[in-house]
Amino acid sequence: MASATENSVVRDRTTGTKTVAAVAVGLSAVLFALGLAALFGVVSITDPIAGLPSVSINGLLLTALGVAVVSFGVGSRLEFVETEPLPSAGLIAGLAFSGIWFAVAGLVGSQMLGLGTAGSLALALVTGAGVFAVTVVPREDVGSTLPAGALSLLAGVAFLTGLVGPGWAWEPAGLRATFSAGLTIPAVTLFTSLLTGWSSAKAYGGFGARGRHLGAYVLVYLNALSIVAVLFVLVAFTVLKGLPGLINGVTFGSGVGPSNTINLFGLSYTIVWPVNWPFVMNGVALLNDVNGVLPAIVGTFWLVVGAVLFAVPLGVGAAVFLTEYAERGRFTQIVEIATNGLWSTPSIVFGLFGFAFLVPRFGGQKSLLSGMITLGFMLLPLVVITSREAMLAVPDEYRDASAALGVTKWETVRSVVIPAALPGVVTGIILGVGRIAGETAPILLTMAGGTFVPGSQTADVVGGFTFTTSPPFVANPELMQATAALPYQLYALISAGVGLSGNVGSAGQFKWATALVLLVVVLSFYAVGIVTRYYFRRKLHQ
Amino acid sequence: MASVTEPDSTESRHAIQRRLDRARDFVEDTEPEALAVVVVGSVSLLAAFLGFLLSSSLTILPFSVFLATSGYGWVRHQELTARALTLTMTASTILILGLITVFIFVEAWPTVTYESTTVFGVSVPGLRLFLETKWDAASPPIRYSMVPMIHGTVMVTLIATAVAGPLGVAAALFLSEIAPVPVRELVKPGVEILAGIPSIVYGFIGFTILSPWASDQFDLVGQGTYLFVGIVVGLMALPTVVSVAEDALNSVPESMKSGSLALGTTDWQTMTSITLPAAFSGVSAAVLLGVGRAIGETMAATVMLRNNPRIPEPLYNVFYGYETLTSLIAANYGEATGLQMNALFVAGVILFVTVLFISIGSQMIEARMKRKLGGSE
Repeated sequence: MASATENSVVRDRTTGTKTVAAVAVGLSAVLFALGLAALFGVVSITDPIAGLPSVSINGLLLTALGVAVVSFGVGSRLEFVETEPLPSAGLIAGLAFSGIWFAVAGLVGSQMLGLGTAGSLALALVTGAGVFAVTVVPREDVGSTLPAGALSLLAGVAFLTGLVGPGWAWEPAGLRATFSAGLTIPAVTLFTSLLTGWSSAKAYGGFGARGRHLGAYVLVYLNALSIVAVLFVLVAFTVLKGLPGLINGVTFGSGVGPSNTINLFGLSYTIVWPVNWPFVMNGVALLNDVNGVLPAIVGTFWLVVGAVLFAVPLGVGAAVFLTEYAERGRFTQIVEIATNGLWSTPSIVFGLFGFAFLVPRFGGQKSLLSGMITLGFMLLPLVVITSREAMLAVPDEYRDASAALGVTKWETVRSVVIPAALPGVVTGIILGVGRIAGETAPILLTMAGGTFVPGSQTADVVGGFTFTTSPPFVANPELMQATAALPYQLYALISAGVGLSGNVGSAGQFKWATALVLLVVVLSFYAVGIVTRYYFRRKLHQ
Repeated sequence: MASVTEPDSTESRHAIQRRLDRARDFVEDTEPEALAVVVVGSVSLLAAFLGFLLSSSLTILPFSVFLATSGYGWVRHQELTARALTLTMTASTILILGLITVFIFVEAWPTVTYESTTVFGVSVPGLRLFLETKWDAASPPIRYSMVPMIHGTVMVTLIATAVAGPLGVAAALFLSEIAPVPVRELVKPGVEILAGIPSIVYGFIGFTILSPWASDQFDLVGQGTYLFVGIVVGLMALPTVVSVAEDALNSVPESMKSGSLALGTTDWQTMTSITLPAAFSGVSAAVLLGVGRAIGETMAATVMLRNNPRIPEPLYNVFYGYETLTSLIAANYGEATGLQMNALFVAGVILFVTVLFISIGSQMIEARMKRKLGGSE
């Protein structure tokens, strides 16, 4: 207790110096944001910010940051600032900094000072070794600030003096690529701000264990944040680009939509949709106001239904055998390895297999049926793995209690184990379906389909069954021919390249809207799967 | 030698004897009718499978016999039928892996023999696939070298691993050790959804936005770089790494972490000196699985690369991306016939075998870790 009070008193005294470190962390964040903005073209490096071109602003901030970081480190070493540094910054930091400085010195030597290969290599080696020594040998406060601050200073001075200015470009020999200032300056700014951000967060924590903790947390939090940000940007971007094409011509009102007639066992029933949504209710036709992807949506639906009908009974059955009947031993081990191996097999290999195995056996042409079964093969291992996990998670007490009632093993499985495992199994299936619904590679070789599919080619699987007198007695031409599917159609649209606009009003809009529909279909499976899992998990913990 | 093998063989003889005894007991204990149902069912299913293999149109006959017997058995002898059916389903899972192996190897064989080379007077099939670097399916001499594609796959995988490995492990640490509960509830589904975005959508965004941007920024000739394909593929492999690594970190016993924290260490010290070393094998299995995902990723690579099998100059030039094993198959299946189609199967075999080894390797690592941590608990 006493030491805690003392510590807080000591901390109060050092608030002023800690503010310096906090400001450095803030500056790094500002620079990171500036670098990102420039990288994504929001701000050009020549655009003025507060009357100065943004490259000079970057330079100024980097220089200030470098000075702040270095002076904090040196101040701490000279005991002006109260910190608790360890004897050394550690080997990992040393290797990282020497690697960075090795590259920087090598590039500066060969490109700016005009030294030859041997000369720049020597310079790089000497610098790298020097930085390694500076990082590892002195106390941690110097070792973890000096190399980062110096790099920031170097970059800042280079930007400020125009040594690396807006007109700068570097063309490495033989690469046929140019590093322009417009890319290099933001990239260097980003990288340097990460280093100084880490270094100043460490300083803020007073080095030592606490400082390392803070420095690492800054990077880890930033990483998590950027992953979420990337996801958000990807989805938001697709939505923004796809929405105009998707909602083009949507009208509401009773009777405006197309009508569907359902024939079942001689009874027929006609539905008139109360909404007309051309993009998802039309195919592609010359006379359409708005062309759409209805055949592909229906095709994807049937693919998923077929794959689920094939894989779920097989997979759940196998899982029941493995968890309830089989003794744990070599056999279950082999099956486990086989299912995990199947699960990580590349999807294109499934496509090749379907092409070699299924296509010749289903009439020798690409067909909906081979697509369904190929996707079923892909779904199977996931169903086995998740169902097994769910069944293993059912407590043995349940089984014992049921067995104590004198029922048979199968009765126990049917009325105790499967119901208890059902949430897990269903969640696994939904997530698996989301995955296969978006797969392109397997259906590329087994089903394919068209680039622009007329509405008349919408698969009508239910109505397609007919009975014949020769074996195999049942025929369904709809299953035996290729149909469109969303992922393949998007691929076909991409590879068709330019010259699409003749067929659909705006090719770009059509593509983005197709991508959006695919994304919505797949992500809604995921959303449902994740929500189901949370729901059941919460129920389980209650 | 003999003294070593003898106990082994008597032991295995005993095991076989035990199995036989058990089988005989089973046959004696079961009603004859139920036994007949199982026998008829399995024989008809086998016949149906053979018929399907031979692409016979009569396959439907034994298959309907199988359906009928299973239906009858389900009503009359549910216990035994359920057991037999679930065993059949398990066997078919293994069978599928076997079928995949056999079929892609058989289809690949013609090209393997075509690309034979004589070494010291012995003809080695398939060696030329890896010795030469020329892929030319159009003008003689026709060559189907896999070297350019292997090079492409290695480049993409290296870059993807550099992206997915560190970021994925850091994100897994965040999710399992650092994040407060509400944040985790938000980030974890986010990572899962990242895995859910179809690869063709990644490819589409890469093709329409990233590739032109890269060509413009780096002043490249044409479009398609290994660098950006690698980054996109790394993003796609990230969720695999995160979820498997998180499982590994979670499996480190809480007592180990508490013990460390009780010594007064910071959370970060506990992570770097206790949690990460204990979960090291699991985390490396996660990265390995991510590598497997990256190797097999097809659509993003196909639409973003140049689809022209050659090796960039210099070898490490990441700004010019030509072809990977996966994109070779996806881009050429349309016009390929004969030997060229078989060559695509060769690419498939390389992919299949590599990823299978990676999968088995990571499973062994994970099993070892489970044993180790299980023992210390």
